[in-house]
Amino acid sequence: MAAGGAGRWFLLPGLAFLFTIDLIPLVYSAWVSFYNWWLIRPRDVRFVGLDNYVRLGVDPEFNRAVVVTTLFTAGAVALEFLAGLGLALLFAQPFRFLRPIRVLLLLPLFVVPVVGATMWRVIFHPEVGVLNHYLTTFGLGHPPWLSDPTWALVSITLVDAWRTIPFMFLVIYAGLEVLPAELFEAAAVDGASAWQSFRHITVPLLTYIMLLAVLIRGMDAFREFDIIFVLTGGGPGTATQTIQILNYRAFGLGHMGQANAIGIVTLVLVAVMCFVLMRAILRPRGAAQA
Amino acid sequence: MRTKTFFLVLALVLSSTASPVWAQQGKSITLSMLAGYKEDVLRASLPEFEKKTGIKVVVDASPFGDLYKKQLLSLSTGGRYDVLFMDEPWIAPLSEFLLPLNERMKSLDLADFVPTTVASGAFQGTQYAVPVDPNVQLLVYRKDLFEQKGLKPPATWDELVAAAKAFHDPSKQQYGIAITASSDIQTALYMLLAIWSYGGELVDNGRGSLNSAAGKKGGEVFLELLKFTPPNVKSYNFADVNKAIQLGQAAMAIQWASGARPMEDKTRSSVAGKLGYTLVPKAVRQTPMRGVWTIAVAKNSANQDAAWQFATWLSGKEFGQAAVKFPSATSAIHSPRFSVLKDAGTKATLPYADTLLASLQITKERPRLREYADIQENLRVTAGKLTAGELTLEAALKEIDAGTNRILGK
Repeated sequence: MAAGGAGRWFLLPGLAFLFTIDLIPLVYSAWVSFYNWWLIRPRDVRFVGLDNYVRLGVDPEFNRAVVVTTLFTAGAVALEFLAGLGLALLFAQPFRFLRPIRVLLLLPLFVVPVVGATMWRVIFHPEVGVLNHYLTTFGLGHPPWLSDPTWALVSITLVDAWRTIPFMFLVIYAGLEVLPAELFEAAAVDGASAWQSFRHITVPLLTYIMLLAVLIRGMDAFREFDIIFVLTGGGPGTATQTIQILNYRAFGLGHMGQANAIGIVTLVLVAVMCFVLMRAILRPRGAAQA
Repeated sequence: MRTKTFFLVLALVLSSTASPVWAQQGKSITLSMLAGYKEDVLRASLPEFEKKTGIKVVVDASPFGDLYKKQLLSLSTGGRYDVLFMDEPWIAPLSEFLLPLNERMKSLDLADFVPTTVASGAFQGTQYAVPVDPNVQLLVYRKDLFEQKGLKPPATWDELVAAAKAFHDPSKQQYGIAITASSDIQTALYMLLAIWSYGGELVDNGRGSLNSAAGKKGGEVFLELLKFTPPNVKSYNFADVNKAIQLGQAAMAIQWASGARPMEDKTRSSVAGKLGYTLVPKAVRQTPMRGVWTIAVAKNSANQDAAWQFATWLSGKEFGQAAVKFPSATSAIHSPRFSVLKDAGTKATLPYADTLLASLQITKERPRLREYADIQENLRVTAGKLTAGELTLEAALKEIDAGTNRILGK
């Protein structure tokens, strides 16, 4: 009992740290979101209650940004998850040069997002870009990567995938490496196929790890800014205008109330997304155990 | 002894009331600057200023897209900038935080400045900034191609469309005109330029007023021009317009004067020496858009005298002459002074110097409103929707006006 009491005290530094860096800014941000505060008019700061939230609710541009953000997040995370899982399964098999190739695969993780996006902007460039040069050489046409609304959404998804597939790979691969080999050996003795081993041993044992990877990437993708800002700036039109692009614009023009309202809505949407994802993935497992 | 004391006291009094050069020695000022070529030009001359005055200048450079945001955040939160390199549309929104310069301006040789450039630093009768780098939109055309076809450079929008059509041959990767049609701010400014020429206004009598016959006509001409552009102008920005000219792909471009300089750089441009420059086309009026880079002093700066000294140096003849001769890369700094723009050396370096000066004398300014940054952002986003096909021209003009009125509280 005494040890438990003392143990709780050890939580204090962590809680104090969390309170300082998380809770105070969050509460302040929520508080600011109830004000009409435009930086160019410092003497005209007014409490407006929920006005900033109501305006977001009826703003077609914001609603479209929510749809674009959701599409981008779903597309990017699905692509990254499937590619990451595939690569992890591939690299779980021993083959020559495994280690150097594994290191090479991780390289995009170390590239600063803005630098990577700038590099891709040059690669996608319609006239001087290397991608269209080779596609044209092989008779595959020259897609308007950044100038067509659909292609622009595909392009930012591909660049996000390029940057973060290594993360998915790394997390799932680490999970695969610690799975007990005996289970697979026993399944092999019982005549299980590779697919059956994967479906009935690998997937259940890796569920939590995969969920973690998808959640982290989902939260990141929902808040993605750098790549989209550099590649398309939200265009063409509003084709790639995500919530974060709108938030950046509101902050940039000095609308602190509106910008903080967008930030709080983003937080709520990310929390809902995580909750739904966890319920969807974990419920059948819990129900089965019950 | 009493005489020594008298002079000592006199010196102290003088140093606290006046601000001679030596009084600023050892001071340090922080400059908010546009990153890239303009920064390079400045840095090349800065040691000379620091040596002459003893004032250390700390440069904080940001790219164009971030500069207004950074200056707004810094100024409104009592930030660290003493002196700010500002695009002229930002003067009105940020005027609250800038030092009025009317009295100090009297010490400048104002007769040497092109008058419209001085006006770029003023808002509601108060001078908040000094012009440094006057910019204006020009029509750039391939002299060689026009001569081959026996055509004159277009003077009206109809002639511009006709010439763009005449030179447009995608099978040879030859396009009529290079302009942007992306979500970039330049797209909105091209459209506004055309609308202005037909007599339209972004804001009239305090209300958004693009949705007019003139607005529609200007918008239609802008959209018509897009038929004769390189295929990917929907992802173009300022630099891409330059690239299309430099690679010899476009016969014409409407571009800011600062973009013209790199087009004449033989190491980067296949058409250097083959370009002609003329005023932007007219319809019912000729309205080259003004975009002067200015220098302002922060109202809360503790080093206002040193900051002013820097501002006068930056807008001075000496810096102007050094700037126009600086080797070109991606953009340029010109000078707001007649003495520099009319100088034979300048004309030899900048083949468009005469067109720049002529344009500056008839140039049109964007609305001088405190809310202008928001209005221009609304224009940018909606023009992007128009060119992406999300909106028809009429719907776009209505949406721009609705946004303008909302911002102006109408």
